[in-house]
Amino acid sequence: MSERLDAPANLSLFETASLSVERQYLTGLRIRSQSDPGVRATQAELYGGVAGTGQVVCDYVPELALRTSIFSTDHRIIARQYFYLSLIAVLFGVVLSILMRFHLVYPQAQVKWFAWLWPVKASGGVMTPELYLSLMTLHGTLMVFFVLTLAPLNAFGNLVMPEQLRAEGMAFPRLNMLSFWTTVVSFLLLIASFTCQDGGPLSGWTAYPPLSALGPIAGPGQGLGQTLWFFSIGVFCIAATLTSINFIATVIELREPDMGMMQMPLPCWNWFVTAILSLLSFPVLFAAGLLILLDRLAGTAFFLPGAGGSPLLWQHLFWFFGHPEVYIAILPGMGTVSHVISTYSGRPIFGYRAMVYATIAIAFLGMLVWGHHMFVSGLSPYSAIAFSVLTMAIGAPSAVKTFNWIATLWGRQLQLPTAMLFSLGFISIFVTGGLSGLFLGQPQIDAYFHDTYFVVAHFHLIMGVASLFGIFAGTFYWFPLMFGRNLNERLGKLHFYLTFVFAYTTFLPMHFAGFAGNPRRYADFTTFDFLVPVMPLQKWITHSAFTLAAVQLIFIWNLAWSILRNDHRD
Amino acid sequence: MITEIEHHRGGARSAAFIGIVVLMCASAMTFSALVSAMVVRRGLNATDWHRISLPHILWWNTGILLLSSVAIDLARRLLRRGKRTEFNYAWTAGTVLGTLFLIGQVVAWNQVAGDGFRLQHSLSAAFFYVLTWAHAAHVVGALGAVGYVEYRAVRYQLGPANRTVVDVSAMFWHFLDVLWLGLMALFAFWS
Repeated sequence: MSERLDAPANLSLFETASLSVERQYLTGLRIRSQSDPGVRATQAELYGGVAGTGQVVCDYVPELALRTSIFSTDHRIIARQYFYLSLIAVLFGVVLSILMRFHLVYPQAQVKWFAWLWPVKASGGVMTPELYLSLMTLHGTLMVFFVLTLAPLNAFGNLVMPEQLRAEGMAFPRLNMLSFWTTVVSFLLLIASFTCQDGGPLSGWTAYPPLSALGPIAGPGQGLGQTLWFFSIGVFCIAATLTSINFIATVIELREPDMGMMQMPLPCWNWFVTAILSLLSFPVLFAAGLLILLDRLAGTAFFLPGAGGSPLLWQHLFWFFGHPEVYIAILPGMGTVSHVISTYSGRPIFGYRAMVYATIAIAFLGMLVWGHHMFVSGLSPYSAIAFSVLTMAIGAPSAVKTFNWIATLWGRQLQLPTAMLFSLGFISIFVTGGLSGLFLGQPQIDAYFHDTYFVVAHFHLIMGVASLFGIFAGTFYWFPLMFGRNLNERLGKLHFYLTFVFAYTTFLPMHFAGFAGNPRRYADFTTFDFLVPVMPLQKWITHSAFTLAAVQLIFIWNLAWSILRNDHRD
Repeated sequence: MITEIEHHRGGARSAAFIGIVVLMCASAMTFSALVSAMVVRRGLNATDWHRISLPHILWWNTGILLLSSVAIDLARRLLRRGKRTEFNYAWTAGTVLGTLFLIGQVVAWNQVAGDGFRLQHSLSAAFFYVLTWAHAAHVVGALGAVGYVEYRAVRYQLGPANRTVVDVSAMFWHFLDVLWLGLMALFAFWS
């Protein structure tokens, strides 16, 4: 849509003005662009305005530390900021899980500093069930939103995608900065919600109504804390939408001119599809949050059955977001793994096109299966069958990906640096976690397994550990791009092997607890006779989880040492 | 002086168009969620669904919004042809009409509430308010963009080769039109 225009004829105001370069910018005869040498040449003149008008017509601002390191629009710095935010969130999340696992096996233990931390919720040093549930809520929210969404997509996407597309940066750098700081606001709101006087929210990361929609009357932790939690999620939705706008525009617009979509590196494809999923799902969660906040604050009854509303409505809206969210967490990891495996097997990925189509198919099917979270919510058996069949269908593109990874590795002399080890670990965990999905995807089997530790095992493996392995692979592989240094390989390998073993020893036994009918979200199992035989298993899980958490100190040490001290730049 | 406007992949103009289209998708998803919530809730139990009486002013508002869209699109076309003064008149007309629409919506909310359909009164009323508020919030945002164009237009900072912000704002404004027509159809035939 380009038109030739005889502009001066229409410039009645400037008829007498000589059309100097800056005038041309001012009147729109020239398009301003940072790469236009004309802009750079005249920046000094333009800054401070055009004589007599007091207008600033160009974005030039002297470089302040505030602009370069805090409110930066540079995609690499923003990537690092997201990385640090995720790191803070994951450390919080792990500490919370340690506290929870401790409480599960020693529910009556008196710990002095519990009483010091929570004088009301753990008076005498014994954790109340409400405190346990609020820790669980914070753990889930932090991990799902601030770790599994931010690190793979926002941190690594921002860092690597422009480089792989050979673009100068993201399409909208200021929007990028805005999304990050909006995310920070959301994070602060979330933390604030847990410091409320009547306790933190305890509805879990799914926040099912009616309890979450009623307000303080529903019990401790359902007052201001729950309201702030919903605000936090609402703000996060806005940030995620802004991010997805940026990612989609960057992929479509800023690819190198001769790079077609089907020549894009696989990580870019995965970030692109993830951004589309984000775009389609977060606005729905936003709408749901809006309705439930009105229920809480303005006296409506969208989700309150007593007044004509329907709690099922929340489940539909929430899981329409919640299921794609699982793929938002895992797809970027798949991209990273494809890239790393291709690099260290020394050949292009097997079946590039199939990989792209599988990514799209997983995302497309992932949008249509939210009902499998609601098999026991009174869903019509006919729709349950439809959701079940579609859920099973996701196995096909997932298998395509797995076989393509294996085919890429087939018959090669593999190099096994830490990034590659984590990628291979990813495949293993992805298959293990994915197989239990085939059980849970069937309404008849889910009727038994629903809300047991089998589900906890399933999503921790496929969504938690697999995505984390993708993040670890990315961290080791792209660390030089992020910090200009390398991570220590010896520590990295030690970290990998221990993490791999203890991730399995922590989460595999949970399947057996699920077989025994051990319900999730319970703060204390010791009072149930039928769970007495499961307690030794739960103790094993707790000790394994402690070790798994301790092993992560190796990674933290490696990270800190490499960022601060390591001069090893090979 | 002859200038060609940049419109190729990788240009700022092209990126802005993609950005606004993606933003419109996000808005459309939010509204689809709210509308499907309403439709599903109504389907669950139609016996306690009170049909609200739409105040007449809503139809006037619809007309005003459509007129504002016509004015804004006329302005956009004028600017493309380089008629900057005429552009200013038409764009200002669009801005004023858009503001009138918002005022009309406030009147409509008062009338609906006056008929006894308050937010807490019934779910049908609550869905009516939520959908119209969400739309009004979008209009407020869009008026911000339209006002920004206005601010630059009266200073003659926009021209045929610098009109991306105009095109993008106009596009979003038309989107709000379509959204509103959809909502009116929903209220008139389905609520």
